[in-house]
Amino acid sequence: MAAEKEMIREIEVLNAYGIHARPAALLVKAAGKYRSDVFIGHDASDEVSAKSIMGLLTIEGHKGTKLRIRTCGVDAEAAMNEIIKLFETKFLED
Amino acid sequence: MSISLKQLFEAGKQRLGLELVSGGEISLNRTIEESALNRPGLALTGFFQYFAQRRLQVFGLAEFTYLKSLPQAEQEIRVRALLKKKIPGIVVARNRYPVPWLRDLAEAFHTPVFRTPLITSNFINECILLIEELTAPRGRLQGTMLEIMGIGVLLKGPAGIGKSEAALSLIKKGYSLVSDDVTEVIRQSGRLTTYANEMTRYHMEIRGVGIVHVPSLFGVSAIRRKAELDIVIELHPYVNDLEEERTGITPGEIEILGLRRPLYSLPVSSGRDMANIIEATALNYKLKLLGHDAAKELNEKIIEHFLRKTGKTDGR
Repeated sequence: MAAEKEMIREIEVLNAYGIHARPAALLVKAAGKYRSDVFIGHDASDEVSAKSIMGLLTIEGHKGTKLRIRTCGVDAEAAMNEIIKLFETKFLED
Repeated sequence: MSISLKQLFEAGKQRLGLELVSGGEISLNRTIEESALNRPGLALTGFFQYFAQRRLQVFGLAEFTYLKSLPQAEQEIRVRALLKKKIPGIVVARNRYPVPWLRDLAEAFHTPVFRTPLITSNFINECILLIEELTAPRGRLQGTMLEIMGIGVLLKGPAGIGKSEAALSLIKKGYSLVSDDVTEVIRQSGRLTTYANEMTRYHMEIRGVGIVHVPSLFGVSAIRRKAELDIVIELHPYVNDLEEERTGITPGEIEILGLRRPLYSLPVSSGRDMANIIEATALNYKLKLLGHDAAKELNEKIIEHFLRKTGKTDGR
C-alpha cells in the first residue's frame, strides 16, 4: 500500500468571479475522487475541506486571493495536481 | 492577549458609540494588552505608585469634577503626567467632549482620545465584554451544527457520510440548524459558542438537490443564529472490528480550543435512521445533565443485585 503523504501548495485565484458555486462544485467533484483529504484556506487556521461545497463558499476566494491547498493521504500528489489544474485553467471560465 | 486600538475602535463604533476625537489614524496602531479598563482618578491627584498604565483610561464624571476643581494650569500638569506614562488611550464618557487643550495635549503625545455617549460604568462593562470577545480564541470546525432541545450538537464525519441528510431530518423533526458543514467557534470563558459563516449562513447543501435556503423551506424556527457547543457526534462507516460504545458509561472526549466536550461515535450502516439516533444521543445527554445517567444507574442496579446474591456487602 502506498504511503501517506502530505503536500502543501499556494495558488492564486485567477478567474474573474472567484470561487462561486460552480467552481466550488468542480472542486468538490475533483477532491471527492481521491481517498486523500483535501483542504483549502488562506492559512492553516481557516482551512476547510475541499469536499464540502458549503466550506468552499465560506473561504471568500475572490480573484487575486492567495490560497493554500493541502492534500494528505495515499494519493495526495494526484489530488493536488488535479486541484491545481482547476485553478490554473480558471475553472474553465473566462 | 493583545488587540490593536483600531480593532477595538472598528468594533466599538456601533456597540459602544465610540468616536475618535483626536490622535488620528496613526495613534490607533497602539495595542492594549489588558481587557480591564482604568479610571485614572487617583493618578490625576498625582499618586502614581500604583497606576495601571497599560489599560485604556476612562474619564467619567468623577475625573471631570475633580479636574474642574483645579486651576487650568494645574489641570494641564496633571493630565500631562498621565500622558507621560504612555497610556494606550483615553475615553471620555457620558457624551462629553474633551476640552481643546486636552485634545491638543493628547495629540502631542500621539495618544488617541475617544468619546462615548454611554455613562461610565456601562461603558466599562460593555467595553470589557467587547475586548474579551475580540481577543477570544476562535476557530473553524468541519461539521454541521444543530440545536436539539437546547443541546448544541456538532455533527462530524467524512464527506458523503450523510451529515446534511441527517441534519435535514432533524430540522423536519422541529430542531434548528446553526450551520451546515462549516462551523465557526469562539471560546468565551468556559463556553464554546458556535455560529455560521456570514456568507453561507442558513444555507445547506443536499446531494442531488443542491444548495437550499433553510428558513425559506422550513420557516424561521428551523434556524438559530448561534448555539453553545455541548456535544460532538461523529458519524463513521460501520466497521466490524471497530471499538464501539455499547454501554454509554464512558463516552469519549474531544478537545476544541482547549475545552473538552463529550464525543459520541456513531456507526452508520444501512437501515439505521441516523436522525433518530442523533436525537436520542442528544436527549440522553440532556438527561445526564439533569442527573439521570441511565447506563450508570442500570449498572449499579446490576452490581447491587449480584452482591446481594453472593452475600457480600462491599467489594466492588
